[in-house]
Amino acid sequence: MLQKIYLIIFCFILFPFKGFALEPTEKLLMEKNSLYQYIAVTEDTSKHERYLRNNKKGLIQGGISLNAPEKLLFEYTQMSFISLAFLEREPEDVLFAGLGIGVMPRYLNRYYPQINMDVVEIDPDIMLVAKDYFYFKENEKLKVHSGDARQFIKRSKKKYDIIFLDAYQADYIPFHLTTLEFLREVKSKLKENGVVVSNILSPNRNKFFDSMIMTYKKVFPYLYIFKGKKAGNFIFVVTKRIDLKDKDGIEAAAKRLQSLRKFDIELTETATRFEYSMAYEWFGADILTDDFAPVNLYKYQDSEAK
Amino acid sequence: MINFIVFICGAVVMSFEILGSRILAPNFGNSVFVWGSLISVFLTGLSAGYYLGGRIADIRPSSRKLGLIIIAPGVLLLTFPLYSGPVSDWIFMKDLGVRSSPLLASASLFLVPSVFLGIVSPYTAKLMICSLHTSGETIGTLYALSTFGSIIGTLVTSFYLITIAGVNSLIMGQGILLIILAMPLHFMKLRCDIDYTESGGRK
Repeated sequence: MLQKIYLIIFCFILFPFKGFALEPTEKLLMEKNSLYQYIAVTEDTSKHERYLRNNKKGLIQGGISLNAPEKLLFEYTQMSFISLAFLEREPEDVLFAGLGIGVMPRYLNRYYPQINMDVVEIDPDIMLVAKDYFYFKENEKLKVHSGDARQFIKRSKKKYDIIFLDAYQADYIPFHLTTLEFLREVKSKLKENGVVVSNILSPNRNKFFDSMIMTYKKVFPYLYIFKGKKAGNFIFVVTKRIDLKDKDGIEAAAKRLQSLRKFDIELTETATRFEYSMAYEWFGADILTDDFAPVNLYKYQDSEAK
Repeated sequence: MINFIVFICGAVVMSFEILGSRILAPNFGNSVFVWGSLISVFLTGLSAGYYLGGRIADIRPSSRKLGLIIIAPGVLLLTFPLYSGPVSDWIFMKDLGVRSSPLLASASLFLVPSVFLGIVSPYTAKLMICSLHTSGETIGTLYALSTFGSIIGTLVTSFYLITIAGVNSLIMGQGILLIILAMPLHFMKLRCDIDYTESGGRK
């Protein structure tokens, strides 16, 4: 009897080790349960790419190609830089909420070495992983701050030209980083005509997506949406400007930047995906507030629009 | 009636705890430190409440007093939105660190109501025990109902309530519920006077 019990306990101990459902070509480099999440680094040996995962299955948080680690492998990271076309001057101060594997700050640092960059990342283990596995390095212009993005922004005495919002908890944005109050705090830390760019994942055009649109719209006069080729990849861009930006203007600005900076990404191509938020607005959607923000539920409910 | 009260108080404790995480998040995030603070503060409140409740219950217990014990957290919850923002912002400004800030905020916002809700359990036990022969059954039933209430409170709040209403209105609603629940207690006479001599022979 006792032996049977030992056997069962033994099986349970073994079970988690064979639970990881990787592709046959993918190998596990490290895994860890940090204070905030599960972290795994895996490598696809045939594609020669390395990924950060927060779930055992499904969504990949970020990745690089080992042949060209300085490049932006993921579509949404490339598209985020369309924000540069919305700023009518050289950026001086930029904030990233959420480090991830650190490719975006690293990329911006490479093309704009003079920009002062602050990155706020809640999980110290993510920073270690970014450094150890994804070629991320801090320097005197690029500083990582450990902490909650909302607290950092609320406390910040500095104002920024561009704020990148890309703080995810596995596959959703923590609710306190989605609300009206939060976006107002973000807006208050923007310089004149500053830009906020946000990565919004919505694979099935869900209610969360609709609510995000209405919440952003409530705080900022105009919202511009860039839709990725891959389903569900959306980049939201908002500015403090009270006049509407037009598609031609953004395409021209992107073209100018592209030839000036010689980016290895196609900003001009991203610019053609320009859409006014009007095309997506659904007035029946709830505005998310600190008081009411059912983000976890809304992600699983299909949009009521159309 | 008393059974229902114990059930509801159990439900309110856990529902309030779940909602508490939403109250703290804007200023203190959603981290493991926030959850740790929250849970430990509620458990501290409950254990202090159990202890105090036991002592108070030995001094002339009455359903009227029980009503007052339940009205107190009712009023605290009903007026919660008035003070939660300022208290939480004040502690945010103090910036005591990732652990101390949420712990202090939890203690200042949630400790007192949970002490009162903790008092309810031993106090009702005292009121309900009519015979020392069945006291075990009475106490066991009350424990079970209180914890069952907590289970329902946790599930209903996190699965449904949070998705249909605002956090502040839910907390105020719970305050109203406690006050309504406490009112009839004012007019009831529940106390069983135990004939303590009946167990005299056993000892």
